[in-house]
Amino acid sequence: MSDAAAAIVLESVSKRYGSTAVVHDVSFTVERGEIVGFLGPNGAGKTTTMRMIAGFIAATSGRVLVAGHDMATDHAEAARRIGYLPERPPLYDALDVRSYLAFVAKVKGIARAARVAEIERVVTACHLEAVVRSEIYKLSKGYRQRVGLAQALLGAPDILLLDEPTAGLDPGQIQETREVIRAFGHDHAVLLSTHILAEVTLICRRVAIIDHGRLLAIDSPAGLQRAEAQTNQVLLEVTAPSEALCETLGAVAGVEAVNIGAPTANGVLTAECRVDARDGVEAAIARAVAGRFALHRLERRAPTLENVFLRYVGGKGDRAA
Amino acid sequence: MSGALAVYQKELATYFRSPIAYYVVSVFLLGTGYFFLYNVFFVGETGMDGTFRNMGLLLITLTPLISMRLLAGEYNAGTAELLLTLPLRAWQIVLGKYLGAVTILGLIAAGTLIDLVPLYLFGTPETSTILAGYLGFVLLGMACLAVGELFSALTHNQIVAALITAAVLLGFWFVGHLQAFQRAEFLRALTGYLSFALHFSTFVQGLVRSEGVVFYLVVSGIALTLTAEYLEWRR
Repeated sequence: MSDAAAAIVLESVSKRYGSTAVVHDVSFTVERGEIVGFLGPNGAGKTTTMRMIAGFIAATSGRVLVAGHDMATDHAEAARRIGYLPERPPLYDALDVRSYLAFVAKVKGIARAARVAEIERVVTACHLEAVVRSEIYKLSKGYRQRVGLAQALLGAPDILLLDEPTAGLDPGQIQETREVIRAFGHDHAVLLSTHILAEVTLICRRVAIIDHGRLLAIDSPAGLQRAEAQTNQVLLEVTAPSEALCETLGAVAGVEAVNIGAPTANGVLTAECRVDARDGVEAAIARAVAGRFALHRLERRAPTLENVFLRYVGGKGDRAA
Repeated sequence: MSGALAVYQKELATYFRSPIAYYVVSVFLLGTGYFFLYNVFFVGETGMDGTFRNMGLLLITLTPLISMRLLAGEYNAGTAELLLTLPLRAWQIVLGKYLGAVTILGLIAAGTLIDLVPLYLFGTPETSTILAGYLGFVLLGMACLAVGELFSALTHNQIVAALITAAVLLGFWFVGHLQAFQRAEFLRALTGYLSFALHFSTFVQGLVRSEGVVFYLVVSGIALTLTAEYLEWRR
């Protein structure tokens, strides 16, 4: 790929089926050497966007450029640059793992002499040594997922598109798969979709949040958390009269808003305070409340990516982490 | 071409790991064996004419079972998403798969050669007539498989693909019978020309006419081109 061109460029890409817009005016760029997480709830348009980048379906409007090649007009050239793991691993159940990988390697144009070594490489990377001779229909879900990943890695493509690559894996396999992706992301571009937040925090340099087919935010995980830090929360459980508690909390410096729920049967109130980002605000609240009432619980909610995510996709940034 | 070749090899490898191919080949050979014995012992034929005619109809009814999985099976297994995103052109996918199916057809044709053994042992059949018959058989089969691949591309359901293909092929097989009812010369010529059966019967009589060869090849070509165009379009 030419060094000048970004690995993946989406220019106001939309996909409509009839009158329903599944993806609406999405634009972003993925550079080489960067792992970008594509985050959104189920049905947000992640898979449709991935399929458009992979060239499985065409965009209704807008342009998809892969390593500078327009997916609509230059499909074969663009496809050569991409390793793609669809949401459902595309496997031929009747073939054994080695013949399956050999087929994909052949189609990807890997020279006969290099093929055996290349298959060996992805088999090792994806820990498939134990099953290379097994027919694919006999494999467990975790193995199927990893055979799909191995297929995508064949030929070391410039760009790796992974649609929920860790779905169906056990924790150990998830760990290994993340290592594979991380290692690959050093000098290639990786776009991976997921709804697991820990995944993007752990391995992605940038996160794109999508919901209802619209791109809501794209930034580094830290950047998104900084933005969310403005809406820090402190949660309290106190035995106290409602008005008195509200008054006490409102008087503490740093508390911006107080929201008190209905008391439980034994008179315990749950209060949520929106506070600013200053240090020690929860200690000040604790001092003020504990002096007058019985304080049962106090918790400061850190700005997790989950809160960021929930705020964007549901307007519910205060939902429990 | 190497892309089409890889698809072809994959296709053969998967065909023979599914029971359908074995089923179709055995039913075909058993059916042909039965018709051959019937024609020789009860009708008293000394050639392959009658048997070829029966084989033609067997082909029409059994090829949909070979072609049904060609693309519908890929949609169903989710592997279409792999094929269509690999650096393959639509025609390479369509051609590789088609040639895989034609290879099964070749195996069927080869299997029926056993019927020739007693013919040559106990009689003197006309070799040229038999060769013409086999040429017609393979050409007819190729046209059927191409039509079948087209319908397999149009639906996700293999059974639906097989049923539609069988209906269309039977229509083309019997359309020649309408000839007798047409007054207009043009319609008589048209129904005759479109008939898979009438072209086939000239081959069975030992006549290799360019009209017949061109007809089957053109039908195959049109069906395959439409299939490739459809795959491009459905993106």
